[in-house]
Amino acid sequence: MTDLGALDYIWLGVLAVFQGPEAFSLLGLPISITVLMVTFGLILGIVVGATPGLGSVIAMAISLPILISAFGFSSDALLPVLGFLIGVMKGSTVGGAVPAILFNTPGTPDAYMTTLDGYPMARAGKASKALRISHFSSVTGDTFSDIVLIVCAPFLAILVEAFLDLPEKTALLILSLSFIAAVVGGSAAKGLLSCGLGLLAVYIGTGEDFYPRLSFGLPALSDGIPITAAVIGILVIGAIFSELEELWHQTRRTGTIEVAKDQGDQRLHWADIRRIFPYISRSALIGTAIGALPGIGSTLAATIGYATGKRRHARKKVPGDPAFGEGAPEGIAATEAANSSVSGANLIPVLSLGIPGNTAAVFLILAADSIGGFNPGPAVFKFSTDLNPELVIAFGLFTTMIIANLLNWTVGGALMRWLGVLVRIPKQHLLPVVLLLTLASLYVEETSMSAVWFGFGFGILGYFMKRFGISPLPFVIGFVLGGRLEMTARQAFSATGGDPFFLLKSPIAALFIFAAVAVVYFSVRKPKAVTP
Amino acid sequence: MRNLTANRALGLACIAFALLVAFVWIPLDTETWLVEPKRGRNIVGDSLAPTLAAAFVLVAGIMLMFHRGGDEEKPSRDNLRFICTMIGIGVVSLLIMRWAGPALAALLAEGGDYRLLRDTAPWKYTGFILGGGTLIFSMIAFVEERLSWRALLIALAAVAGIILLYDVPFDDILLPPNGDV
Repeated sequence: MTDLGALDYIWLGVLAVFQGPEAFSLLGLPISITVLMVTFGLILGIVVGATPGLGSVIAMAISLPILISAFGFSSDALLPVLGFLIGVMKGSTVGGAVPAILFNTPGTPDAYMTTLDGYPMARAGKASKALRISHFSSVTGDTFSDIVLIVCAPFLAILVEAFLDLPEKTALLILSLSFIAAVVGGSAAKGLLSCGLGLLAVYIGTGEDFYPRLSFGLPALSDGIPITAAVIGILVIGAIFSELEELWHQTRRTGTIEVAKDQGDQRLHWADIRRIFPYISRSALIGTAIGALPGIGSTLAATIGYATGKRRHARKKVPGDPAFGEGAPEGIAATEAANSSVSGANLIPVLSLGIPGNTAAVFLILAADSIGGFNPGPAVFKFSTDLNPELVIAFGLFTTMIIANLLNWTVGGALMRWLGVLVRIPKQHLLPVVLLLTLASLYVEETSMSAVWFGFGFGILGYFMKRFGISPLPFVIGFVLGGRLEMTARQAFSATGGDPFFLLKSPIAALFIFAAVAVVYFSVRKPKAVTP
Repeated sequence: MRNLTANRALGLACIAFALLVAFVWIPLDTETWLVEPKRGRNIVGDSLAPTLAAAFVLVAGIMLMFHRGGDEEKPSRDNLRFICTMIGIGVVSLLIMRWAGPALAALLAEGGDYRLLRDTAPWKYTGFILGGGTLIFSMIAFVEERLSWRALLIALAAVAGIILLYDVPFDDILLPPNGDV
């Protein structure tokens, strides 16, 4: 194949999805395994989103070893596995609204604001309508965000490759870490602590010397801490302990859950769409802008989207319409569009810079790392005239996102309305099962009991971090980026002839370092209001 | 100390930990220094990256010492009681998971070597069923503050479900602890 252009790569990406290995044929039409996996992922995502106590992170953690066992380590495995994870990510944002609207229990943290208007609507006999509004707003926001991702990520990556050399890339990684440490969690100091611990943990048992550093000579530490054990331990097991403790404190608060019966017209009319669309569009812009910055998260987007919508609604609302917080459809629309539009934009820093901005992105990187053949980052978007297989995968990934959105538009709404029953599963029964499932999935992936012990140990660390008000996300991002930061810094140091000030010699690198210090300095001065 | 708030205590602990890492652990447990001469050029040694990580923790500790504000979150006595129980349940369950199979094989199987039986039913399930079942049953019982048949049934059903999920469909997957006994 010669002289491949941008359009050729886009087309090859689409073909890689639709003409990949065939799962079965439907009416003579071959259905590729990737399309099937995106569908399964989306369904699983909606189910876990609709189940309080579960979420996309748990679903990804448990499914990853199964997916890798099923698909193996060939390049053919990349799109089905990544497509499945994308499906889970998108499904869970939609599903999180179900228990929020029906039972006043957000399925995911970012659906909390949805309870404020969704539950009053459900109590007023408008549950199905509230679910339809939530679904429409969520999928619209998500689709908008994906379009921004598809358009922006390649350009950003090309700019990075063109203008950033090794010192600048090192400085950019430092800036990303300090930004995440500063903006995520209760305070900049705690974010920095979380990030420092993540970096320290990843440097155990690694390095370039013959002796694996910081390993105390122990065989269990000499190969380093498995990334899955650290990430899943801190994020999933730590969260399970925290949730279990809350249940322990409010033991058996299991009064019967009342659900009002639907009354009157439940359909979503064109007039309804016109009424909520200004709120959706504002929130989609807010969510996309926030999502493009690593580490900020959908909870903040939902909060800002809701607050912005509330101000507009107070000015524009017709007398007699419910205000925000009293069952306003606009409140659901503003929240759901904002939190869903974060997901696509969150992948901009991953695909263009290789910097994960949220936990879902961390799992995409874990999957790509485990399978091999695709390293998210600026090098992916090299539009070379000889075939660049990573670029084909990137456009294949965009195609899976579009498929997931189409499925979300068509069947996602009906599915989410059927899943109200899931909220009745008692969390005190579900969470220990999920814990064992998580430990088993860790073992399956690493085939080593020490990985299970590490996962359990990091879960305890995650629990204590939560109790001290320290966000685990900077730890995870530090752990994921630590190796690359060290490698880039080593290369930059060597390339500049051992110049100790290599980070300050180029204006761009110096600017990044200055920004890294400034972002921590200003976040220390300004107390934060929102903890994602 | 009257003014030792939760944040200051955490800050002090961070500073002490960072200094210990930077001046004791790293120098004693790493082969090369921050920068090492190699073939006439300086290269980055294995100590540099962890030292910078320790510096992050040190700076965080200093910032926490001077932190002002209301977010004085810290674990309570109840929190410690809860997590100690969870640790106890987890450690006992994982030890059962690891050793139940070999112990039963030593007692009941011909030859007594579990490694030869670790891919043979029912031996390969013994550790996972006993350890996993203990984990789920004990956690449910602790959170509900009562022992119940329902918790036992859930534990057994969940363990069976996980075996069906991981072990039955895949020949190359081994349940814990069969991959590294």
